[in-house]
Amino acid sequence: MTDVAYISVPLWYLPLLVLIPAAAAAGVLPWLKRRARTRTVPENDPDWSIPPVAEGFGQGISVIHRWDVRCKIVTLLAYSFAVASLRHLSLAAAALGLSLVVLLISKVWFRKVMLRVVALTGFLGMLLVVMPLTVPVHPGDTLVVFGSMDWLVVNLRGVVLAATIAAKAMAIALLMEPLLSTAPLPVTLYGLSRLGVPDMAGQMVLLSYRYLHVFTHEARRMTAGMQARGFAKKTDMDTLRALANFLGMLFVRSFERTERVFDAMQARGYNGRFPSPCDLRIQWQDILKTGIWVAAGAALVFFDYLKG
Amino acid sequence: MHISDGVLPVAVTIGGYAVSAGLAAWSARRIHNRDLPKVAVITSAFFVASLVHIPFGPTSAHLLLPGLAGALLGPAAFLAIGLALLLQSLLFQFGGLTALGANALMMGIPAMICGWFFQTFKGSTLKRQTIVGAVAGAMGTVMAAAGLALMLMTGGEDFFGVAKIALAAHVPVIVIEGVMSGFTIGFLARVQPALLEPLFHKTAASAHD
Repeated sequence: MTDVAYISVPLWYLPLLVLIPAAAAAGVLPWLKRRARTRTVPENDPDWSIPPVAEGFGQGISVIHRWDVRCKIVTLLAYSFAVASLRHLSLAAAALGLSLVVLLISKVWFRKVMLRVVALTGFLGMLLVVMPLTVPVHPGDTLVVFGSMDWLVVNLRGVVLAATIAAKAMAIALLMEPLLSTAPLPVTLYGLSRLGVPDMAGQMVLLSYRYLHVFTHEARRMTAGMQARGFAKKTDMDTLRALANFLGMLFVRSFERTERVFDAMQARGYNGRFPSPCDLRIQWQDILKTGIWVAAGAALVFFDYLKG
Repeated sequence: MHISDGVLPVAVTIGGYAVSAGLAAWSARRIHNRDLPKVAVITSAFFVASLVHIPFGPTSAHLLLPGLAGALLGPAAFLAIGLALLLQSLLFQFGGLTALGANALMMGIPAMICGWFFQTFKGSTLKRQTIVGAVAGAMGTVMAAAGLALMLMTGGEDFFGVAKIALAAHVPVIVIEGVMSGFTIGFLARVQPALLEPLFHKTAASAHD
């Protein structure tokens, strides 16, 4: 297997190969997006930035919910790196399957998972299109040539490589919901700070998460105002100038707001830290879950290594 | 464009985490501790601003804003950008969790350089500030694109094609970003010039105490 193998395919396969995925993507993506957006009324979403009520915590609805947050973070992070290091498609696919199982166990919100998958498709789609065409030819590769068009050569190694990356990225992305939304955000961040991450880092995440929604609202109000005055986006200088003023105004207002927010925090006794949201205790179940999961990750890496 | 999980070699992702943690710590040290909550709130404004879509022919581009963030925040920019990328990764899956360190480097380092560039050359007239702001904005995007291509190329020869395409895709964004940054800085220079001074600078802040 040192030579490059060629597979000749009649030219009419090409439109088939391009059109079918394109049509499928054009049909499925908007459907997924719509479904992800309309499945529930937005107000029904559990807001995981709200601190937990003391006695309600720790009695979550799934095995993952009941997992100690520190164990969960460490395990999932280590596992993600293990998955990212895989080199073979079969093992990446196995990791993807494992993530799907975890997703079913953890009973997270389907539509949020869908939004994550949709967000990934841009980058991965680009890889899937570009890599088969641009990967350099090595001995042992299989090339697919379409009829007499010898400038268009699809390298199957590129297809496999791109598919492996896509499977790994999906496998990790599917774990993000089980990682994050099975505990309120303050608890997750508290877990991080107990793991040694500076307290301030977690507080900054919490604050910017909160104000993200405030400023989104502000931006939406300003957009509505611009539309009411007849503004429509076009590709020209005036649009850029108007949008730049919009950004500038957003910054001016948010900087002013920042000062007021901070004054208000100090007035309520903020002294550089928030009260801790809960008590964390590690029990033997937590260690067991971590052990099982780490073993799964190690097995994936081991088999990947065995395959050369 | 943010790199997703599973693209970069593990050594690069871990190295990226280590270097950006160091830079973030340096960035935090340059800011008064008291100002960190303010940086957090401003980060969310930048986050929202980067979601604004600019029409470009039949498609649209969203802003990256490393240049503008550098110009407005100075040394705090690295911290703000790291935080914004973390949120983007956690909330929207833009950029993978394991690639977060690498993504922070390729956006944060240009921001710091642009911030320095803007503060050094901004002068005092409105016109000059607008032009320097535009250059900083364009430069930030060029460097971010180059960083992206470099990061992709650490994956080996197989990724060179992807890196080239990614570079090419940034060309229109560079122009848009430059013009937008220039106009935005021009707007701020007229409306609230105080924002163009390096905010949260430790020496400046401690003068109040």
